[in-house]
Amino acid sequence: MSHPFRIRLPALPSQAVLRSTGVYISGGLFATAFYTFLDASIFSRVANGSSNVHITILDWLPLICSILGMLIINFIDKTHLSNDDSFSYSGGSGVMLKAKIVLFMGFALMAGGLAGSLAVLVLKYLVPGHPWPTLWLGVAGAVANGLVMASSSVLWVSQMGEGEYRYDLSL
Amino acid sequence: MAGLKTIIALSFVLAIGFLLVILSSALFGPNYFPLLVVATYVLAPLPNAICSQCATPNDFMDDTNGSGIVDLGKFLTGFFVVMGIALPAMLAHCGIIQIPAMIMSIIGGLLIYGTIISFTMFFQETEEF
Repeated sequence: MSHPFRIRLPALPSQAVLRSTGVYISGGLFATAFYTFLDASIFSRVANGSSNVHITILDWLPLICSILGMLIINFIDKTHLSNDDSFSYSGGSGVMLKAKIVLFMGFALMAGGLAGSLAVLVLKYLVPGHPWPTLWLGVAGAVANGLVMASSSVLWVSQMGEGEYRYDLSL
Repeated sequence: MAGLKTIIALSFVLAIGFLLVILSSALFGPNYFPLLVVATYVLAPLPNAICSQCATPNDFMDDTNGSGIVDLGKFLTGFFVVMGIALPAMLAHCGIIQIPAMIMSIIGGLLIYGTIISFTMFFQETEEF
């Protein structure tokens, strides 16, 4: 196969490689999110002795909502979303509607988590005017929720082109 | 070709990694929290190995079983690898260990994980034949 150019562009990696790399990156982003928030809560108890504002269950709730939303979104089989199950060997009519409803609940939990962390950041840390080492507790919550959302979207995108790959394997 | 020299070199690198992690906890602080990095990187290849065994590529009638659990294993492996870096950084930021201990334990953990990964890569090739 001859090429018209003198310099060959490097070939893109195959879809399976891209897919597994995306899944690894997604796990790494999730670990970053979790340890950002764990750092904030340990910092609140151990190292931030100058203030009496601490991480409570109020700060954990948005992150728990985000992680629940991520679980719900990624437990859904993506093949139910693309075809309208006209051949009904997997549950009959309405599977697509059910999948979309559950998916909406997952997205609502995740967006609610992000919005809740921003609300906690503003109401608990910015409005009373705490200085920086205390302000980190709120910023870490917002960063952790954003990273959970990024992890979930990377996982979603890398699982999208799934059908052809499995087709290649099974033949 | 995974010869005897490869095994000797890999075991040297593994020993240097363990040495760095143990020194980082023994030199710089009264606590042994950097040893958690070793546990993290030993656990890191496990989900990938287990879940790739659990996946059943030969029952091609079941469409939903195969690659989900493989992705779960990859997700957990990525989680553990980043956790090995994030855990000393977190401990250092909270003042539980010192900054040089953090650097030494991260480098030692990466050496240990690289040893494990290259060991499995070398010996999967010989198993294929």
